[in-house]
This record gives sequence, structure tokens and C-alpha cells, in this order.
Amino acid sequence: MHVRKLACVMGLAGVLNLGARHAASEEPPDGLPSLAARVAVATCATCHGPRGQSVQPKFPVLAGQHANYLLAQLQAFRAQTRGDPDAIGYMWGMAGPLSDELMGALADYYSAQTSRRGEQGDAAQIARGRQIYQNGDSNAGIPPCAACHGSGAAGTDTYPRLAGQHVQYLLKQLRSFQNNMRNVAIMHGVAKGLNDADMRAVATYLQSL
Amino acid sequence: MSTHTIMTRYTRLLWILAAFGSLSFTRSVQAVPSFARQTGMACEACHTVFPELTHFGRMFKANGYTLDNLKPVRDVDSSRQELLSLSGLPPLSVMIEISETWLDSPLPDGTGGPGHSQTSTTGFPQQLSLFYAGKVAPHVGAMVQLTYANDSGTLGIDNTDIRYANLLLLPQDSSLVYGISLNNNPTVQDLWNSTPAWGFPFTSTNAAVSPLAAAQLDGTLAQDVAGISAYIMWQEAVYAEFGVYRSAKQGVTNPITGAAGPLDGTISNVISGVAPYGRLAYERQWQRHDLEVGVYGATFKLLPGGGTASAPASLSGPVNEFRDLAEDFQYQFAGESHLFTLSGTHIHESMRLNASVLNASAANASDSLNTTRLTATYYYRRKIGASFQYFSTTGTTDASLYAPGAAPGVVTSANGRPDTGGWISEINYLPWLNTKLTLQHTHYDRFNGGTSNYDGFGRNASANDSTYLLFWIAF
Repeated sequence: MHVRKLACVMGLAGVLNLGARHAASEEPPDGLPSLAARVAVATCATCHGPRGQSVQPKFPVLAGQHANYLLAQLQAFRAQTRGDPDAIGYMWGMAGPLSDELMGALADYYSAQTSRRGEQGDAAQIARGRQIYQNGDSNAGIPPCAACHGSGAAGTDTYPRLAGQHVQYLLKQLRSFQNNMRNVAIMHGVAKGLNDADMRAVATYLQSL
Repeated sequence: MSTHTIMTRYTRLLWILAAFGSLSFTRSVQAVPSFARQTGMACEACHTVFPELTHFGRMFKANGYTLDNLKPVRDVDSSRQELLSLSGLPPLSVMIEISETWLDSPLPDGTGGPGHSQTSTTGFPQQLSLFYAGKVAPHVGAMVQLTYANDSGTLGIDNTDIRYANLLLLPQDSSLVYGISLNNNPTVQDLWNSTPAWGFPFTSTNAAVSPLAAAQLDGTLAQDVAGISAYIMWQEAVYAEFGVYRSAKQGVTNPITGAAGPLDGTISNVISGVAPYGRLAYERQWQRHDLEVGVYGATFKLLPGGGTASAPASLSGPVNEFRDLAEDFQYQFAGESHLFTLSGTHIHESMRLNASVLNASAANASDSLNTTRLTATYYYRRKIGASFQYFSTTGTTDASLYAPGAAPGVVTSANGRPDTGGWISEINYLPWLNTKLTLQHTHYDRFNGGTSNYDGFGRNASANDSTYLLFWIAF
């Protein structure tokens, strides 16, 4: 089926209905990138911004994020296993009807976008954040974040890109790891030793990259 | 008493009743839990605190209320053309308002009937509404409200907005949402909470005295018109809309046939032809901030009507023309714990009262009316909040349009001025996001043109101050 015809058939039933699971699974894979782009523009962009460049710091920047990580998160939202507050309030509902195929196409769409340029913040906080991120804090039992996320915080297939991410979003995630609302053992181990000031410093550093 | 005098008083009374009815109805607006059930998303996605919309809520509305995560009942033909996509659950909701209102001073004995007036009024319920609010079909959604109100004692159609919406994917992944709204209240289709239908106060008592003057666009024609408008929203930032309204009076029957049908001359304020409505707005988001500025306006040519079944006025000939032009803005700050909104509107109405001058219900051929509202709202963690509003209506002195009445006054003006102004202060507590406890106080600095003895029968503006306790739940 041609992409154009697929778009007609799916229409905005696909866009506004988020591409119901059963419908998307019936469509050939070559139509999915087009459908994903429409879903991204019509629905995801309202919070995550055009091409994943979110304006509001409550919502994460998705542009340039690794596809594997995005797919895993979308699946966790749909399975309702990622439990930080905004995941429950927003993404459980959003991801509910997405098929695996469409999730994959959305992950590919956002990973292909140009990542966000950093925003400068308080110099002292950035310096403190850099110290923790690159070297950890052995006294507090905090390992260097760079060990997994990379020295430039560009992430890997397994670990998310953090460079250029919003401070507000990063802080909320670190707190969610700390109190296990977002239940990820490795990140709970890291975040439990961070106090609020250190979290803010690390987040400010990451936003600046 | 001459027939002419009776008609003049009758017309004036209808104006007043229309103003009262519309004010009590249009100030009850909602957030609808069936939308949350449909999308699977929490109230906070679409609302800062209900019923004020977030940017996401505005786009949900612009997209025709159709976003959903429910598995639909579907049908397709052999070419995969979709024939049906029906929600598995009917998007129904119920809203209940229970209230207690205390007037600063009781109404004069005999107002509204024999006996002594009480200072307080209990509304149990003040309002009970049933909604169909959600997706109807792909691209089509509706918010239809049926309301029982204790003042009318009847069930009637309330705010209604039925939409078709679609999206055009433009180059560079930019978006153009376009749609059509069929609605019954000018500005009920609007996306911001700075315009009249969805503006603060979101609900208010129906047991207090309302002022004489209100612009036509300010709720006066709510639920008595039917409008269709087309709109576009480009890049979720630039909004343009144009539509027309026709009269669609509720609760009126032809006095001869007793059936609903073409309106006759006993009905007042029927729109002659169609009334054009337009809206332009620009919204910009940065960091946690969201700012909208816009203009909206309409021109209504109204046939004054009036008379009686045996001597109806004509629904043709001279009209009263109301040109309403308004500016509005809304600023929202959405932090994790702190939410702040500042909004305002100014409506300028130019009236050419050719018809009313002829039947002596207006003294001037041209009058004007200016309404200003400025509202600030703060919430802490969507739990506890407060709002303050300054409101003011001023206009041309017209001793016939805002005429002195017979005792006991109260809803009349001794000096023929429409000026009314004051403050509304409100505190809210939300134990749950769909449950609100409100304590609201309305204070009038001036009322129907005066501060003291505004009606010529000794009543002061502040006597109409009211305190309103409301329990508001939607599920």
C-alpha cells in the first residue's frame, strides 16, 4: 500500500487515535515512518515540541535520543511499569493504544532528529555538577555518571542521552529514582546518595551540554 | 396604560430577563471526566485546575476532542475504508454543584413574591449536568451538556460544542489543524480562558442580583443561538476563526400553534439574518510560561420583538445593531508546585439602537458599553488556590435603556447609567482533582450606575454583595 493511501486509510484515525494497536499491525512496515511522523506532529509535539525539541521543561527533549531507550520507555508506559508522576498522568494514557511497530517508528523518528543545544546556567552549579557527573563522589557513594552515559552525556543504545535535557525534567526523574516511583535499581543506587543541591547541580551541568 | 407603554415595558423586562438568564447559565463551566476516561490521561494534562485549560487541553479541543486510547468498535469495507470507529464506552459524565449563597442585605420584602426575603439561598443542587463529552467518530467529537438548574426548575440544553477537526502535515514537520465547530454560545468554542464563555468566575451564584448591562458577546445570547465557525491553528501558535450565528431560541413556542417553529414577533432579540463572529489569537510558549494575546468580535443585528400574542411586534424592520470588539490575553506559569495565571479581556460594544429608539425603550440612537475583567489565579500543587478578579462595566447614560423602575427597584437604575464594578475573591480547595470546594465573595463598588441608592429606593451597591459556598464535583 502506498504511503499516501495508507495515510488516507488510517486518516487521522491513526493520528488522533494514536494508531490503534490492531490497525497498525495490519499495515506494511514501509508506511510506518510516515504514520509516525504524523503522530509525532499531531499529538506528541504538543508537549514534546516540534521534532522533539520541547519548550516546556516539564517535558523531556526527545530529539536525538537513542531509539532503543525510547522504545523501552514507550513499552514501559504501555505496560504501566514506569511509575513516575508524569508517566502516570500523561504517558500511560498516551502509550496505551500504540502498537510495537508504531512505537518503534516513533523511536526512530525522534532518534533521527537533531539534538538540542545546551542552555547555560549557574557557573558554580555547572562546575559542581561536572565534578559529580564525571568523577562521582566517593564519600557519598555516588559513582561517576559518565561511566554509563558517556563523558559527553550522549548516551548509548542502552543508556539514555542526557546532554541538553531540561533541568526540571532531570530533577524530577532523579527524585523519582530516589523514591523508587520510577523503579530502576541501578539509578536508585546512584540517586539515593544525591542530595537536592547535588541533583540540581548535575541537572544544570547536563542541560548546559 | 397604552399598548405602546406595555410593549416598551415588556421589551425592557425581556432584556433584563435575558441578561439574568444568560448570566446564571453561562457562568457554569466544566471539566469533563469522560475526556480523562477517553484519553487515559489525568486531569492535569488538559487543565491547570479545572476548568482552566493548559496548552495540551487547548490542542485537545482544537483537535475535536478525538484523542483517545480506547479500543473502538470498528467496521471497514473490502478496500479497508473505515466505516465505523465507535468508542467502546459512551463518554458520559455527571456534574453536580451544591451551593449556599448569602446576600449582604436581604432583598426588599415582596421582591419576587409575597412574604419576607431570606438572606441566604440553598441550591441542592444548584445545578446538575449530564455530559456527552468525547469522540463521536474519527475527526468528530462533541461536548454536549444538559443541565437541570434549580432557578429554572427545568432541564435544558447548556453549552454545546460539536466539532470536526483534521490536521494537515506541512513541510518541515509543521502542523496546521483545521476544523469546524457547531455551537450554541459565542466563545464557547474558544481555546483560552480569557474569553467570556470559559472565563472566570467559572461558576457563580444564581441567587444574587445581577447587573442590568452586559455586552451581547458577553454571554447574553448563550444557548439562544446556533453558530457554525471554521478555524485553523498553525504550529499550535496562530489561531484564526470565522463563523456566523443565527437565533435558536430555547423554551419558546409559537403562541398560535403552540409548537416550536419559526420565531414570531413576541420573541425578543432575534438575530436578523446571521451575525458574523471572528477571532484571531497568538500563543507563545517559553520555558514554563505560556502567553496568549488575541482579539475577537461579532456584530449582532437584533430585532427587538415584543408585544403579546394578540399584538405581536414585527420580526422585520428596524434593528438594534451591536458591534462588539474585544481584546484578550492570558499568561500561564506552570511550575511543579506553583501555578499562576493572569488573564484579562476588554469588550467594547457600540450600539445603534434604531429599533429601541422607535419604541422608546432607548433614549439614544447610539450607546456604548465597555466591559473589563482582569483575573489573577494562584494554585499550590493543584490543591489550594485563590483567585481575584476586578470587573468593570461602564457605558453611555441612557435613561430609557437602563430605566428607573417601580418599587422595590433592586434591578433598575435611578440615573440611567449601566456602570457596575467591583471585585470577586475566591479560595479553592481540591481534595481530588475532580472535586472542588469554593468560597467566593463578590463585592460591588457600583451597581447599575450608582454606589448608594442606585435604584432610587434606597438600595446601595454593596447590598448586592454576596458570599457563595460551593461544592462542585464531576465524575
